[in-house]
Amino acid sequence: MTPATNLRAVPFARRYLTFTWLVLGVAAAVMVAAALFQPSILVDTFVTGGMWALMAAGLALVFGVMNIPNFAHGELFLIGSLVGFTVFSPIQEAILENPDATLLKVIGPFPGMIAAALVGAAVGVGLEVLLFRPLRRRSREQWVMNTFLLTAGVSVLIVNADRLLIGNDFRGITRYWDVRPIQVLGVSISVDRAMVFVIAISTIVVFSLFLQRTRIGRAIRAVAQDEAGAQMAGIDLNRIFMLTLGLSSALAALAGASLLFMFPSFPDAGVQPLYLAWYVVILAGLGNVQGAIAGAFIVALLQTLTVYYVGVGWVDVLPTAFIILILLFKPSGLFGSAVKGIWEQ
Amino acid sequence: MLELTNVEAGYQLLQVLWDVTLRVDEGEFVALLGPNGAGKTTTLRTIAGLVEPIRGTVSFRGRSIGGLAPHQISRMGIGYVSESLNLFPAMSVLENLLVGAYAVRDRTRIWANMDLVFELFPRLHERRDQLAGTLSGGERKMLAIGRGLMPSPSLLLVDEPSLGLAPIPTLAAFEALKQLSQRGMTILLVEQNVNTTLRLVDRAYVLEQGRIVLEGTGEQLLGNNHVQEAYLGI
Repeated sequence: MTPATNLRAVPFARRYLTFTWLVLGVAAAVMVAAALFQPSILVDTFVTGGMWALMAAGLALVFGVMNIPNFAHGELFLIGSLVGFTVFSPIQEAILENPDATLLKVIGPFPGMIAAALVGAAVGVGLEVLLFRPLRRRSREQWVMNTFLLTAGVSVLIVNADRLLIGNDFRGITRYWDVRPIQVLGVSISVDRAMVFVIAISTIVVFSLFLQRTRIGRAIRAVAQDEAGAQMAGIDLNRIFMLTLGLSSALAALAGASLLFMFPSFPDAGVQPLYLAWYVVILAGLGNVQGAIAGAFIVALLQTLTVYYVGVGWVDVLPTAFIILILLFKPSGLFGSAVKGIWEQ
Repeated sequence: MLELTNVEAGYQLLQVLWDVTLRVDEGEFVALLGPNGAGKTTTLRTIAGLVEPIRGTVSFRGRSIGGLAPHQISRMGIGYVSESLNLFPAMSVLENLLVGAYAVRDRTRIWANMDLVFELFPRLHERRDQLAGTLSGGERKMLAIGRGLMPSPSLLLVDEPSLGLAPIPTLAAFEALKQLSQRGMTILLVEQNVNTTLRLVDRAYVLEQGRIVLEGTGEQLLGNNHVQEAYLGI
């Protein structure tokens, strides 16, 4: 038996829990230090972390429930940014024409975000119904590999369709809310960034409560833990799969639309968010949604520290190196043993 | 209530059931006995919809259910407690039971069924907040049976409750099934523990190499030569 499988046999082995706590403790200590000496690090960490959490939670959910490594997840971010841009552009013009319309200014950005989430959900449901369901019906052999190839193909398809139909140029906005920055912890922070954080946190809270407390949320977790058991309890797998991919896609699209002022829409816009979401999910342990949310903030902290103290050029290098280091000590990810999915049984 | 007529079923190239005809009437406690690999579990999986029959009919309350999806069959009132239990290990006992009641919309009925389960297995009540993955073998069986009871099924399929259990928890599991049967539950039980089972049930079938070879009341089978030689070692 390799050490890795050994670990899995002992749920919550004490020494690994300790290692996880060590990493979390260091992260927390750094954040406290940041709050005291360089509060902007804390603010940046929470703003970007919230968004990576949205991306990574959806990715983890789909892997946990459907066993699909979704490499088209970034393209949902792209679709979200595109929908957000398309809906917000005319609203922005209306705002510019009527600078005194306060209400329009305040709620103007929301229709684009909501539309993005809805379109994202529809695309997710479409992918499940048109691609994964027929594949599942045909054969579940080599499922992870086949769905990986399928999602990678979908990604190429969407990126190039965007290039062909919409064009290769950047479509972005400078800001959603044209108001003065607010002060948080003595740091001046634009309302857009503050709102991104608020949107991300409230979405994550609602999403977690949905998974933990509602009948359908429980059913989704049940399918992740034992598909046959879920069916025996009267749960329709097809409905749960549809809902899961729809939800995950809606989260990614919402992230794309909310971050439009930082990441303009262009055909490759989904690449960086996709890889970041994968970093997070691998760091946290595949298929663990709560772990992914915590992991997102750790990755965001690593990124922010790199930007502040090493240089923007290293922003992908150092966090990845840290993740590799952590995986050397805990191969199943920081929270890897807490949740066990169908593929491990 | 449940009727299998000339059912043949199996997995891809391997056919397991060759000609299974059996019947369970309302309120009956019926056992399906036989050696390892005879097809007992496959029979239950076929009824529960996890295996599709190749030939023959499976009908429940006069309606053919062969080829329906497992969740549809579950919603028609057939509860299935599988050999591997298929519990949700990272969920608490309470949550496992709630998922069991997924198809039940009426809250008062959910709580009534939960009361029934806790009355039948007080141990589960003590452990209600514990994760299913941390329960003992006997407690897991109780939880699986309890989860199977949550949608108030009219027929309960139970696959080898004695598997992997020490004698005392085994007796407890049998005792619980007996109590359920006395309350009017229809049960189809798969077992290898022939002696105890035959003393417990109304009727039994013996399955060998995918075919029903014997049928009779518990007493008849206890007195049968073949059963005595092959299963009871007399």
